[in-house]
Amino acid sequence: MKILLVEDEIDLLDEMEAYFKEQGHLCERAADFNQAEDKIILYSYDMVILDITLPGGTGLQLLEILKKKKGEEGILILSARDSLKDRLAGLDMGADDYLTKPFYMEELNARVNAIQRRKFYSGSAVVKSGTLEIHTQLKEVFCNGEKINLTKKEYELLLYFVVNKKRVVSKESIATHLWGDNYDMAASYDIIYTHTMNLRKKIIKASGDDYLETVYGMGYKWVEK
Amino acid sequence: MKLLVYTSRNFLISTIIVLSSTGTILYFVLKTLIENEMLEQLDLQADMIVNELAQGRYVNYPLVEIDKINRISETPKITGDTLVFDYVTKEHEDFKYLKVERKIGSQPYRIKVMIIYIGWHKYYQVIFFLLSIAAVLMALAGVLLNYVLSKKLWKPFFFNLKQLNSYTLSRPGRVHFEPSHIREFNELRYALEELTERSRREYLALKEFAENASHEMQTPLGIIQSKLDRMTQMVVDADMAGYIVQSKAAVERLRRTIKGLLFLAKLENDSYADKESVSVGYMLRSQFGQMEELFWGKNIMVDLRIEEAEIVVNRFLLETVVSNLLANALHYTPRDGRLNVVLHENEMIFINTGLPLTFPPELIFDRFKKGEQHSQSTGLGLAIVRQICMLNGWKINYSYSSGNHSFKIALQQEVLPGACPGTGKHCTEIC
Repeated sequence: MKILLVEDEIDLLDEMEAYFKEQGHLCERAADFNQAEDKIILYSYDMVILDITLPGGTGLQLLEILKKKKGEEGILILSARDSLKDRLAGLDMGADDYLTKPFYMEELNARVNAIQRRKFYSGSAVVKSGTLEIHTQLKEVFCNGEKINLTKKEYELLLYFVVNKKRVVSKESIATHLWGDNYDMAASYDIIYTHTMNLRKKIIKASGDDYLETVYGMGYKWVEK
Repeated sequence: MKLLVYTSRNFLISTIIVLSSTGTILYFVLKTLIENEMLEQLDLQADMIVNELAQGRYVNYPLVEIDKINRISETPKITGDTLVFDYVTKEHEDFKYLKVERKIGSQPYRIKVMIIYIGWHKYYQVIFFLLSIAAVLMALAGVLLNYVLSKKLWKPFFFNLKQLNSYTLSRPGRVHFEPSHIREFNELRYALEELTERSRREYLALKEFAENASHEMQTPLGIIQSKLDRMTQMVVDADMAGYIVQSKAAVERLRRTIKGLLFLAKLENDSYADKESVSVGYMLRSQFGQMEELFWGKNIMVDLRIEEAEIVVNRFLLETVVSNLLANALHYTPRDGRLNVVLHENEMIFINTGLPLTFPPELIFDRFKKGEQHSQSTGLGLAIVRQICMLNGWKINYSYSSGNHSFKIALQQEVLPGACPGTGKHCTEIC
């Protein structure tokens, strides 16, 4: 996927670029309004990740240009502003999602993937990993054509691992992804552990492969066989 | 003591003192004046009799006795009191008499003249009676006047006092103080208006500062977080991994604290003015549904007793209240404890088992107030809940009894469906 990253904070930009490249995407970057404007007008992208406050203009203005162009890009707004008003303004103007800073790269990636599935596969995408097939519309998982029965949370967890494959996914980011911000950290880590172990057992039982690695106390890593 | 009682009481006491002393003075003054007058009259009468006698006329007045005597005694002039039977009223009456001995020609005479006077006890009675009436009337008039005047005069004062009592800085809008035509009250009003306005301005500035500071902190925090994230992707030894994990936990806590502070700073009426009819029961169930496993994980028994209730509210704010209270219960309910959530007739109650607070219960809604054993929480959740309740005019109550923490919210609707939202009154009592 060709992704345009619009962000004035170079450190963050580097980080995002590295992350999406690892995930096999093609990235272009713009660090201010004018660069971004030029790129948007000249080229087309599959995905645009927009910061709202930029030197020289705002992400919302860029969003307007994108909408005028009637392109097919998926648009995700990334902003430090998280009031409902800002959120609604962005979403009303046609953004596909809105993520507030600071964020987890895994979460950003999961959201980008979700937009991708919705937009380009009309939600019916099949995400594959090894012998596993995740049917995202039915929310069902198959292994060698056989269905694996997963709970809702196990399914979400699996999808999260798979779209963030080959990377250590932290427990904090999993907790935020599954329950939002109102969780008891200590409590949710235990649950994550339980869910992850259950998921692991079910997958090993169905496929004979163990895709999940535990990385010290840091989190889990999905490794494709 | 109430102002009215105090002034009335003092007024009454002073009235009684003034009236009794004037009464006493009046009595003595009257007594002296009348006595002198009567003596003068008796003198005159005696003189006239002497004149008559000197001219050789026969004198026979009632109440006059004229006796010839041998010689003039040593006390030629005696005044005194006597009783005379009054056959009209059939009783003895007080009289004053004067005995004079005079020589008319060569014959000495003793002349006794008398005059009636109303007995002193009657003066007493009359004076006492009149003054008592005056005292009662004056007291009555005073109290009445005081009361009526106070009602009118002090009305702005009491109104302003009430306003001041219910005043909280975080409440949007200016406080309205009632004007008065009493100068002192008006001065007080100006002082109050200035004071509240100044503190409100300072509060707003502080809030803006908190908001800006939080914003400014978010980006660097995001960078730290992403760099730590990058480090977790590298091959590190166990020590390093430990440091990274600890740093990440600290960043996470900071992230949530900043988020909470920002939200608190932004919790104003106009930020969340969109209201709609929301089913509280549905929201409770769905919010709980999202966190269900977390409660199971701590083996907390949860009992939801939910009746249907619809209220007009900003959906996001209600969601925040519900999820914060659930999160609070999750935090503080010990393993194997229980949580009861009750919703009925616009009342939402969260009761969870747990250890008693380590601080006074009235501080529970304060920012950054949290139990000792929970350094991980931000300590902002309940402050946010209180702020939202205040915005919506809901009363929130916390109590602890026999091992149970209980949060009770009266979801009173002050804005009726269809009425103009955003004009809702504000709750004045937060317990």
